[in-house]
Amino acid sequence: MNTPATTLEKRAYKIGTARVGLWLFFLSDAFVFAALLVSRFYLLGDKRPHLEQGLGLIVTSVLLISSFFMNRAEVQISQGNRKAFVTSTLITMLLGIVFLVGVVGFEWGLAPFGPADGVEGAMFYMMTGMHAFHVLTGVVFLFIILRNGIKGRYSPEKHWAVEAAANYWHFVDLIWIFFYPALYLIGTV
Amino acid sequence: MDKNKPMSELRRGVMVFLALAILTAVEYVIGTNEAPTIFLWVIAIFKGALVLVYFMHIARLSGSEGGHE
Repeated sequence: MNTPATTLEKRAYKIGTARVGLWLFFLSDAFVFAALLVSRFYLLGDKRPHLEQGLGLIVTSVLLISSFFMNRAEVQISQGNRKAFVTSTLITMLLGIVFLVGVVGFEWGLAPFGPADGVEGAMFYMMTGMHAFHVLTGVVFLFIILRNGIKGRYSPEKHWAVEAAANYWHFVDLIWIFFYPALYLIGTV
Repeated sequence: MDKNKPMSELRRGVMVFLALAILTAVEYVIGTNEAPTIFLWVIAIFKGALVLVYFMHIARLSGSEGGHE
């Protein structure tokens, strides 16, 4: 028979397992990004690509602000404040799109080299491209939780999908925390 | 429900964001002035730790917080 206590235990076990699965995914994905980071220093050494410093700072700030709103969205749904959750998630999504436009739309166009123009181009486009792909999938996840949130499918007791999407978004931000100095700040042009 | 808890979490989010913003500005100044690279790595690791602990809630892995479904 399912008593309230056993139901709670089952829920706790279920979410604990899901969290471990999510973090194992983060770990495996982190290896891909770590390989790119190591490749950048192995191939380019103390030389950095010639990039727009101002634009780099702007897109980094945009992603940072988006992480703040993502955190806010998660806190709001855990409080049962659906309206604030929807607003914060929407802002996060929009900032994610702004980041993508900044990197893929502007930085790729302004870079004085193409993907096939040697090691510098290959590393720059591979690192930013792989990261942008993750931002794009993050935007898709955010759209899904936004849609479900509008439909009222989350509550303070039940919002694992929000936690997972939020963690994924913060993971993408975490990667950029290391990619930004590696591409824009470390080394000489 | 403890009404103060989400409020303090929101405040904590603001504090972490401010810390990350200040560190990013410092990082930019250091990077554009060609200061020793080690400072940039230290800042990046510190920023990463802030995100892992306060935004990604790595402590939840131990099951000590966030017991929702």
